Amino acid sequence: MNLVASRRCISRRWSLLASRGDEGAEVKHYQPLSIRSFGHVGSPACSGFGLRVRWCVVAIVGVLSVAPPARGELTVSPTSITLERPETTQQVLVTQQDGTFRQDLTREVEYIVADPQIVRIDAEGLVYPLAEGTTQLTIRRGNDQAAIPVAVSGLEQPVPVSFQYEVQPILTKARCNSGGCHGKAEGQNGFKLSLFGFDDEADYGALVKEGRGRRIRPACPDQSLVLLKATASTPHGGGMKLEPGGFGDQVLRRWIREGSPFTSPGDQPVVNLEVEPAEFVMAPQAMQQLRVTATNASGGRQCVTALAEYVSNAPHVVNATPRGLVESTTVPGEAAILVRYLDQVTTCRITVPRRNPATTRLAEKNFIDKHVADKLERLGIPASEPIDDATFLRRVSLDIVGTLPTAAQARRFLQDPSPDKRARWVDDLLGRPEYADYWAMKWADLLRADKIKITPQGTVGMTRWLRLQFAANRRYDEIVRDILTVQGPIQAESPAGFFKALDQPELAARSISQLFLGVRIECAQCHHHPSERWSQTDYAGLVGFFTGLKTKRLPNGTEAIVAAAGTDHKHPRTGEPVAARALAAEKANFEAVTDRRQILAAWVTSPDNAFFTKAIVNRIWAHYMGRGLVDPIDDIRDTNPPTNGPLLDALVAHLKERKYDLKAFTKTLVLSQTYQLSSTTNEGNVDDVQNFSHARPKALPAEVLLDALSQVSGVAEKFDGWPAGYRSIQVWDNRMPSYFFRIFGRPVRASVCECERSNEPSISQALHLLNSPEINEKITDKRGYARKLAASPLNTQGVLDEIYLATLSRFPTAEECALLRSAFPAADADRRAAVEDVLWAVLNTKEFLFNQ
Amino acid sequence: METLTRIAGLEMMRIDAQARLTRRSSQPTGVSMNQFFWGREKTRRYCDGFSRRQVLRLGSTGLFAGLSLPGLLQAQESAAQSGRTAKATNCIFIFQEGGPPQQDMWDPKPDAPVEIRGPFQPIATKTPGVIFSEHCRRCATITDKFTVVRSHSHTDNGHSTGYYYVMTGRRPTFPDGEHPIPTNDVYPSLGAYVGKELGSNGKVPAYVNLPHPLSAGGPGFLGAEYAPFVIEADPSQPDFEVKDLGRVEGLSQSRFELRQKLLGGLEKERERIGRAKAMSTYYAKAYNLINSPEARAAFHIQSEPANVRETYGMTQIGQCALLGRRLIEAGCRFVGIDAPGWDVHFNCFPSLQSDLIPPADQAFYALVTDLEQRGLLDSTLVVMMGEMGRTPRVNAQAGRDHWSMAQCILFAGGGVRPGQIIGSTDAQAAYPTNDPVSIADLLRTVHTLMGIDPDKEYADPLGRPVPLVNGGKLIPGLIA
Repeated sequence: MNLVASRRCISRRWSLLASRGDEGAEVKHYQPLSIRSFGHVGSPACSGFGLRVRWCVVAIVGVLSVAPPARGELTVSPTSITLERPETTQQVLVTQQDGTFRQDLTREVEYIVADPQIVRIDAEGLVYPLAEGTTQLTIRRGNDQAAIPVAVSGLEQPVPVSFQYEVQPILTKARCNSGGCHGKAEGQNGFKLSLFGFDDEADYGALVKEGRGRRIRPACPDQSLVLLKATASTPHGGGMKLEPGGFGDQVLRRWIREGSPFTSPGDQPVVNLEVEPAEFVMAPQAMQQLRVTATNASGGRQCVTALAEYVSNAPHVVNATPRGLVESTTVPGEAAILVRYLDQVTTCRITVPRRNPATTRLAEKNFIDKHVADKLERLGIPASEPIDDATFLRRVSLDIVGTLPTAAQARRFLQDPSPDKRARWVDDLLGRPEYADYWAMKWADLLRADKIKITPQGTVGMTRWLRLQFAANRRYDEIVRDILTVQGPIQAESPAGFFKALDQPELAARSISQLFLGVRIECAQCHHHPSERWSQTDYAGLVGFFTGLKTKRLPNGTEAIVAAAGTDHKHPRTGEPVAARALAAEKANFEAVTDRRQILAAWVTSPDNAFFTKAIVNRIWAHYMGRGLVDPIDDIRDTNPPTNGPLLDALVAHLKERKYDLKAFTKTLVLSQTYQLSSTTNEGNVDDVQNFSHARPKALPAEVLLDALSQVSGVAEKFDGWPAGYRSIQVWDNRMPSYFFRIFGRPVRASVCECERSNEPSISQALHLLNSPEINEKITDKRGYARKLAASPLNTQGVLDEIYLATLSRFPTAEECALLRSAFPAADADRRAAVEDVLWAVLNTKEFLFNQ
Repeated sequence: METLTRIAGLEMMRIDAQARLTRRSSQPTGVSMNQFFWGREKTRRYCDGFSRRQVLRLGSTGLFAGLSLPGLLQAQESAAQSGRTAKATNCIFIFQEGGPPQQDMWDPKPDAPVEIRGPFQPIATKTPGVIFSEHCRRCATITDKFTVVRSHSHTDNGHSTGYYYVMTGRRPTFPDGEHPIPTNDVYPSLGAYVGKELGSNGKVPAYVNLPHPLSAGGPGFLGAEYAPFVIEADPSQPDFEVKDLGRVEGLSQSRFELRQKLLGGLEKERERIGRAKAMSTYYAKAYNLINSPEARAAFHIQSEPANVRETYGMTQIGQCALLGRRLIEAGCRFVGIDAPGWDVHFNCFPSLQSDLIPPADQAFYALVTDLEQRGLLDSTLVVMMGEMGRTPRVNAQAGRDHWSMAQCILFAGGGVRPGQIIGSTDAQAAYPTNDPVSIADLLRTVHTLMGIDPDKEYADPLGRPVPLVNGGKLIPGLIA
């Protein structure tokens, strides 16, 4: 928005700002220097920095061309440089804050080292030590310049290299210990490291002792196999992993020269990681260097920019290079860069607004819209248009009850003049039996009601139980408590089959964590997750709640779930029992209970639980909006932040306030303006995938699509062995052989992940819809809808209206009528064929096949 | 025995050398003549337009057409640029569901007691010292064109679990039993990976299953887009027709066209995003398939000359193999043929000798020779195997039971060094005695032959990196 004005009001000066925690650094101000026109930036003087830099310059000129030449505050950080080890480096950042955008000049300025014997600096602003002493680094841009002091020490008598804190991160960053290489369970070609280097002892053994120490040659360090392989001096299946003479190579070499000890005076665990800038706004197609500083246990600070790893959670918006250079694409949005060094993780949050921000704000119907509008406003993204009654009717019906409105319902709804008809229709839907059918189906998928695993009767029992819960609209927290503590026959009308499907304590722990908490701890079974706080101890602690579960044979040959007293689960690596405890919770106290799950259920469903409500809110949001606020929906972690945190918090508060009433919560969602936006995009939001500026067309689940085709054609699907008239969303048999279900991706209920249901289109689907005898038979059936319409007294327009109302819940447009009329012959003889052809064509439109 | 095999290998090299002399052709794209003549299965890649693989293939067919030296160099350069050295661009994978008996087919043990060796007699093959069962007589005449791995071995003795293990390389997490729909809950099958990695030529689908779905041939986490296009019909039947591909009964051409016109008109104005847009492209592909005479012709096995059909045998496995060849010619990448009936627990020998072994023998023989004659063998990998072998000892019902510890795999074409017997089993055909081959080895080798990096990683639904093939090593000596 008011970039121009805000840019102008910023004072023009250089300043050297102390970065957070840089102790003893003073803030010094330099006199402002005159600035010439901005064209100067792209002048030949700057071209010496190579292609990449020039590209950056062009981008910045592009950004700023909207405003007259002006320049904001320029800062250099850090304010002083201290290099205390031979391999340390220091990233310098040169930044200009220009109105909304932060601009990185690190790669544009000129660097002059007063004494080039002491340090050198590369074009990317990274300072390398050369000899002990002090000097000064001058940063120059045009006539502007600034200088910072540089001190180098510890080169002649360096602190010995630490295996744990220096060698390990090198192996990790070079991906030596990744899952596809030496980190996998069986290692690679006889050399095995722990995944992501979380087992120092084992890795040390592998590197130094195994294979009779063949990987290290203390007598001749440079000939050590590990160096020769890593630098590809001898053939290495993984290729060159460390640049010869580069940082990693040097550290490893020195460590071997020092006798490759396991412990060293340099062993200083890193206790904190900071990234600068931690949060900023950048222009599209721009670049920003990050600067990462690690603090160790004794307070020492070290720049680890070149050592840390960087992962973007939204690469379509922002990418990060291994050097910590962040590059924005043309797509506006928000992204978090995960920064990892050793076992420390931090994030850098970036906002990339549109260049020509939208001027109108999304209309607000409830609190949801306020948060969405705030976000869109910040990004400058315009929302799509609100939808009309017809689109709303169809969308909300398919979403809530998995069922199309009939032609009569559509006609009544469209003709209803009352202003509250949308709200009333939502109430109608939530009261219908199909609501319970549809959500029971959805949850039977998630609770793994697989007839192979839990017997057909068990599947029926679980499906019925779920149906009752949703029909009665029981509180969600109570439903979950019942599921988590269920005991009894697996064939009863109960969720007992869930624990039959999860017949191992470990499987139960990770499935329940993923399903009800949105936390994927599966990875922590084998290793500390690289971007997550959960360790193997957390994993084993959670498993301990399920160790008492038994499957008991009943006299009639069936089985029952019985909870006996459990034991603590062993740590996967150390083999030591780990006291049962929920994620980030205190050690559990089982004094008053036999069934350990009682304690877990109380913790899970407690209003204070940080994950439980978030997980269900996000899951339901994703169902209606087509994408979770956290995506994937069951991967909630600090390093995968929601795209709209305040909105997620508000939704969580809302569901708690509504006492976990899912119907009330649903109503709030679907009556928001956000839900009622068109899926037609505009120029400003066509690229937006995470901010809900427009609706996303949703593929109809296999069952819903088959029901829709059956309903519209007037010909019910016949399922083998099922009474006539059963709808797909009522069919509990997840293994029923069905070509249609197979090609449209019905899940087999093998996991608690919603991702198991495939929504991807395929050529088989297209062929089936447009050319299969089955679909054609439905359309041409003697008792079908097309015949009825053809035989009815309706005129052509009336027939077209009916077809459109039945399929798309709307009247056809004039153009559509003109086109479709051409199918109708003058005489009535072939009217039936014409009706069939028109119905066929409408059923094959993407508007029908997707929930728009 | 091993010595004999080695001698056989030497013999093969001699034959190769002779062949080289007779053909007098220059060597294309750095590929040995051995590969060229007896080469891998042909797989075509079309996804990236005129790919280096096609250039390669042109290079090789060009030998017959007298491709000029500059042309060859150019082809070589293209191959080098893209880094592809593999020759196979297609794969026909025949899966003998139920578990074919190793000792009654490719690994006879004539010196074992009768309750182990069974009633079938051994016969000599074209390769001196190598013997097959008497019912593999056609393949016995072309042992210089394929290679038998006799030491495939794993520990999963179930049908659906073993099938799953072979198709995905992953240990199944479900119990053995009936699984009417593909069981790829998480991990994609070999065919789905190949289809995704190599793509189709845009007319026929990249990955096809026939005459019904391979039970673990699904796409797993790759999603329905990479599911096999399944031909659920028996091509040996006179009324064979591909589902949803032929004209719908009672629908005239004019109505078909009218419908297409109406749909085209209705869709014209509508802007689509996301999946709906992707679906539109699949509609276009589907129309291509229905309307393209070449594509439809590929499925129309009835148009194949009668004598060719006879060569393959008018059996299900034979006609599936023939249809597989036609699909490969039309641009399909991976044809998975499910050949059931091998679970011979009871009175097995009559059915083996009449219904099972000779049709499989004939189909494999016909496929390899036909591909070779058409110049397609070089680029088409042919694999024939099952999920397990069968017990060394004949059981009380005159059948053989499940035995996964020793199995045979046949490889031909597509960069396979032919004429070899790799690995061997003990005196009872019960356990490998050398070069045991695991499922990971098998999959790693097939991917490598197809020019796909077996270590390439995909993210599973949990976001964890999953390599195409978990571990394993290349089958020693198999790749030319």
